[in-house]
Amino acid sequence: MSRSISTSALKRKRPESNSLNDSLVDADRAVFNVIKSKEDMGIWTRDIKWETSLPENVVNKSLKSLLNKKLIKEVVNIKNKGRKHYMAAEFEPSKEVTGGAWYVEGNLDKELINVLKGLCLKIINSQKVVTVDGVYDFLKKHKVTTFDCTKQQIAEILNSMVLDNEIIEVKSTGLGEYHSFPIGTICYRIASGAGLGKGLKIGAMASIPCGMCPRISQCTPDGIISPSTCMYYKKWLDIEF
Amino acid sequence: MVTQHGIKLAVYLVSSFYGDHNSKVCECLIRRGTLTLAQIIRFTELSRENVRHCLLALIHQNCVQAFSIQQEGAFGEAPKIVTHYMALFDNIIHHMRFPKFIVIVKEELGEECEKVFEALLQHGRLSFSQIVDRHKQTVSKEENFNVDNIQESFTKLVNGRFVERCPAPEPFLAPPSEEETPAKKRGAKSSKVREVSETIEQRALAAAAPMESIRFLVETHNWSDVSDKNNAEKLTAVTIGKKRKQDFLDTDGGLLDKDEKKEVLWRVNFEEFIRRLRHKACIANVMSRLNNECGIVLSAILELTRSSETKVNTGSTASVSINAVYDEVIKKQGGLGMNLERIRACLVELGCEMPTIRIDEEYSIDLKSIIELAQNEEVESIVLKRYGREAYRMFRFLSKSGRLHETDKIADTTFVEKKDAIKILYKLWKDDYLQMEKITVNGARQTQFLLWKVNRQSLWEHVLDEMYHAALNLRLRIADELEQEKEILQMPKDKVTQVEELRKRYERLKKVRIIYESSLMNLDDALMLFHDF
Ligand code: SF4
Repeated sequence: MSRSISTSALKRKRPESNSLNDSLVDADRAVFNVIKSKEDMGIWTRDIKWETSLPENVVNKSLKSLLNKKLIKEVVNIKNKGRKHYMAAEFEPSKEVTGGAWYVEGNLDKELINVLKGLCLKIINSQKVVTVDGVYDFLKKHKVTTFDCTKQQIAEILNSMVLDNEIIEVKSTGLGEYHSFPIGTICYRIASGAGLGKGLKIGAMASIPCGMCPRISQCTPDGIISPSTCMYYKKWLDIEF
Repeated sequence: MVTQHGIKLAVYLVSSFYGDHNSKVCECLIRRGTLTLAQIIRFTELSRENVRHCLLALIHQNCVQAFSIQQEGAFGEAPKIVTHYMALFDNIIHHMRFPKFIVIVKEELGEECEKVFEALLQHGRLSFSQIVDRHKQTVSKEENFNVDNIQESFTKLVNGRFVERCPAPEPFLAPPSEEETPAKKRGAKSSKVREVSETIEQRALAAAAPMESIRFLVETHNWSDVSDKNNAEKLTAVTIGKKRKQDFLDTDGGLLDKDEKKEVLWRVNFEEFIRRLRHKACIANVMSRLNNECGIVLSAILELTRSSETKVNTGSTASVSINAVYDEVIKKQGGLGMNLERIRACLVELGCEMPTIRIDEEYSIDLKSIIELAQNEEVESIVLKRYGREAYRMFRFLSKSGRLHETDKIADTTFVEKKDAIKILYKLWKDDYLQMEKITVNGARQTQFLLWKVNRQSLWEHVLDEMYHAALNLRLRIADELEQEKEILQMPKDKVTQVEELRKRYERLKKVRIIYESSLMNLDDALMLFHDF
């Protein structure tokens, strides 16, 4: 599929890059064309070799010269951080390559995520019930962040907070605290367990050693790992006293 | 759903309550399924007399049910009636819950009833006159012994459905009717029908159960005769007992003789307790997840609809009118100030739809979904504790969506670094918490995608098995602690309190026991959540 797109792209781009192409030696040109054909996806060195059918040292030489001429650039591909990927200089790496808005240089931007989570939590705490639009407008109106974030990003943050059980997703009933939202609107509000200092509710199984035990499947009454010789219980009792 | 560790726990319980022979017979029946006396003797290698004694005891403690069926005679012999025995797994596990049952009775009906009830728990099955007998033995001289009081307590217990008539000792199951037999041979189409039809064990239980109309029926005549006649009766009881012993050792038929069947025997109705515990669990979940008012409304509705429930794990409550709910709510602690509007708001939170026109406004609560949420919470918290925060988020994502997702998609949605994500997912899969599927796409190069999913059914079974395992481990730990401190436990009390070191050890043991036992009771709540509710 990518091939058909790339050929049409090549055709489209050809007039402007013709002069450049002319100044390159054959091998450089072949390598450059393959890289460029991948547009904002970039390409792995090995694949360049495979697609151009050139020997490795030739490809490497071409890459070097193209880099020197600033016609291509090296990019980090989120899926394979160890492998060198190249992209024509005029393209910006696509979401698939960078990992999307949450990634900087191939790493998950945890700081940004946490800052946004904190902000959302504050807003929900003060407004009780919110929608994605509501949070987005609030952030925009009060210019809380120094960076732009999209509605999509807010939605993703709220969703992850739901998964963390910090907030819950509810459909507006149009009654009581939902009166300002049309019935059926997706709303978010604080989960009763969290935020009140209670923390997450720990179930009965998870509160005893066997429930947390990584070796439960090997534990038998008269085996090497057994309840009567269990160290986890000893430690647990020490804490309980 | 009887899992491997469930069996181990059941066998351990029987052995600690009723000894090794009984547990051997039980294990044989649970593992191999329904058997005849001869088969049990062969498999357990116990003597005929031993096995018969065990079966009698186990039936008496409601751990085994007998039934008879007609079997075709071998080599042209006439068909004969053969008695089969089946283990009642759930009832065995219920033995672990007796302390909970006692608390329920004590709270609802008071101490007088509790005494009668405890006797029934201990002895399994008793007739009313036997209850009176036991009571006489425990009453001290100063206390006034009064049959009327016992009668009153007993009637309260039966009316509260805490006690029921015993099932028939050995129902006869008629051979499968005409339409049923050929179904076996008729190919795939009818095999589905057969799956739906009952197993022989289910048929036996249904046949043994007393009719609903008399299940909780106390005949109130000649109560007062009981005490007068008592001594005379006791004498005959002994002789009958002796004779019976002789009988059942000789014949190949059932274990219970006809004389005993005449007097109505009573036992604890486990079902009612499990129902109440289920309701309690629902209310507790709603209170912690939503709020107290929702809990009050739910408990009011359950109060109103409890008696109409026909099975323990009923999906939704019966419908009740808003006015009935209101009347019940204001009787509850904390419910006095509530008005119709607030009750309606709670009902919405509990998942009810509001009618557009409020005529004959009736509501029913979906209990099944509350139970499911509680189950989710329990499993999720295990994931959190055992595998950490990020695993928790990923697990919840998969569990909520209920279908396959690719590794990257999971990592993106849950904000987990991709290389960490795959490690965590792999660990969860290795421990049977996730299901994995590999998909290979043949393009220019071969690319492999890993897809992950939570398979509720198999995971729930796995978690339940781990819980049985944990419960068994806890019991073993308690037994171990007691064994280690046997010395102190056997010493006279004043000696222990005199010596500082002994006193400390004694205090420690007491604390440890409390921790273990309360953990076990909580764990048992979780067990019921997955097995009985
Ligand atoms: S007894 Fe100890 S080793 Fe065995 S499952 Fe429990 S915690 Fe793990």
